Amino acid sequence: MSEASHGLGGLKYDPRKKERPQELNVFLALVVIVVAFELIGRLFLGDSFLFNTRENVDTLFNNQRLSIIILQVSIVGIIALGVTQVIITGGIDLSSGSIVGVTAMVTMSFAQTAMVNGNPNPKAIFGEGLMDLPILVPVLVGLACGLAAGFINGALIAYTRIPPFIATLGMMVTARGAAKWWSKGNPISFPTEQYAAIGQGMNPVLIFMALAILFHCVMTYTRYGKHCYAIGSNEAAARMSGINVNAHKVLVYTIAGMLAALAAVVLSSRNLTAQAGMGVMYELDAIAMAVIGGVSLAGGRGSILGTVLGALIFGVIISGFTFLKLDAYYQEMVKGVIIVAAVVLDQWRQRGRVRG
Amino acid sequence: MKKTLIAAGFACMMGTTAMAQDIGVSMAAFDDNFLTVLRNGMIAQGESLGVNLQVEDAQNDVAKQLDQINNFIASGVAAIIVNPVDTNATQAMSDAAAAAGVPLVYVNRQPINVDSLPDNQAFVASNETDSSSKGVKESCRLWAEAGETAVDVYVLQGELSNQAAVQRTQNIYDVIEAGECPVTINVIDQQTANWSRDQAQSLMTNWLSAGAEFDGVIANNDEMAIGSIQAMKAAGIDMATVIVSGVDATQDALAAMQAGDLDITVFQDAAGQGAGALDAAIKLSKGETVEQKVYIPFQLVTPANIGDFLAKN
Repeated sequence: MSEASHGLGGLKYDPRKKERPQELNVFLALVVIVVAFELIGRLFLGDSFLFNTRENVDTLFNNQRLSIIILQVSIVGIIALGVTQVIITGGIDLSSGSIVGVTAMVTMSFAQTAMVNGNPNPKAIFGEGLMDLPILVPVLVGLACGLAAGFINGALIAYTRIPPFIATLGMMVTARGAAKWWSKGNPISFPTEQYAAIGQGMNPVLIFMALAILFHCVMTYTRYGKHCYAIGSNEAAARMSGINVNAHKVLVYTIAGMLAALAAVVLSSRNLTAQAGMGVMYELDAIAMAVIGGVSLAGGRGSILGTVLGALIFGVIISGFTFLKLDAYYQEMVKGVIIVAAVVLDQWRQRGRVRG
Repeated sequence: MKKTLIAAGFACMMGTTAMAQDIGVSMAAFDDNFLTVLRNGMIAQGESLGVNLQVEDAQNDVAKQLDQINNFIASGVAAIIVNPVDTNATQAMSDAAAAAGVPLVYVNRQPINVDSLPDNQAFVASNETDSSSKGVKESCRLWAEAGETAVDVYVLQGELSNQAAVQRTQNIYDVIEAGECPVTINVIDQQTANWSRDQAQSLMTNWLSAGAEFDGVIANNDEMAIGSIQAMKAAGIDMATVIVSGVDATQDALAAMQAGDLDITVFQDAAGQGAGALDAAIKLSKGETVEQKVYIPFQLVTPANIGDFLAKN
């Protein structure tokens, strides 16, 4: 017995066949894209993507660009954290963008200030008594919206057995309707200073990173996380082994709903306004971030770290194209190609693994 | 119980026969700020006249809008008001309404077939070629006043598939070419932020990271102008050194102007357009003749005359 053997049937452990973790591949892709923008910039524009070339600023890197790269994907990134958990359990959530819309409207209604530039608030939704409320009120109301929507998603999927695609599609349409109905399409603006502070500066990034670390630990070290992977890999086996699959699904979708609601709070605060059209297509961006980050739509595979890297790739592409002064058309086309390429590469890797 | 149900059923049927006095309205989008003001203006006018409006949301979908119009025709409405999703797609709508003999009024966006409308069709709108040019000319005046001879600007565009966005951007170049700007305008970059404050904020921050000197921002609407202001303020730029202009004169924009951040916007009488369209539709449904083209002018809004507009949109 010179070689180590594991398990039954004399399966042998061959260190040469040990594959690179998926996250490392995503990270390498990120590096390649950054280097590509840097080179194209140097060759064709005579400007640097990463490093500072401005005379009035004295830093090595272009810190402003580095911060916007992550800032502009933080809010969708928060949603993607929830969507990642949903996809790992083998589900899908199409409703997050609409949950953002309705939550932003409801939350902002409770976050309004009574006086704007010395005049009464021209966008007031409620009367005097419900204005200038402490910050906790709108935030809790917002989280409650997300909790309710997520719980309905989860309960429908777990107990009526309709496919997650249909249940969350229904929620997507319903919640968007509710967002438009809430104030009959009128935008809601002028929040209190306290509320406005939530999304200012780099706060969205801090919130995104804190949540990413939290859920990375949850998915890696807790029973909740292990159950997510177990259900996504083989739901029947998970049920046989005693996991309460239905209750777990409700919990996963509820968490995803609350993360979407939190994103809505940050988004409406950062923009100082809530509009019924907010969050349109965010669900697809969030799913794309997860997929680019190596989360398998078949369930059971992927990680929060991968999704964070996927979000960064998104951010680099947006900033890179603005840096190259290329129009938005190209941005969208490249984004589409990258999403498909990520999944094709992933499929090849999986097939390779099955063959051994 | 059965009797109540039967009574309710009859009431419903009577409701449908009463549809003859109804007016069907198909809006391009419910979640657009400006169109919401227009829609509310129309609904308020309808309530004061005692007319029943059935308002549908075409969700920016040309095909959906045509379906809605055909549904209105099928349910026998007295007249139809359309806020076209795409001004190039109006011929089919005019044809469908004309074939059924139902009066049709276009509102806010000028249909492509405006010169060949049948007698019982009309349109009430503002002339988009007029919109942002007023703001651009005012920006030019302010730059010239500050002693500039050449300025660098960023241009924030609306959705690229939208006629108004294309026109409002074109207006900038038309003003320059017509020699109506006393200073030389150099557009550093122009990109779309899809009418959205959030996207404009990110786009502006991306531009700022390139560190180029600039003198102004010209936005296709107020929401994007406000987004760019938020990005500039976050980067510590003194708003007195930059001329920012938008279009729409929304409440948020007027508040930004009062705070000294936004310099110029252009007012379009949304509620007036909505009410005007409804009046025309009612007259047409009674067989009266109306003016077929009603242009409602854009008006320049600056800190000097902001007081006239605070209560309007």
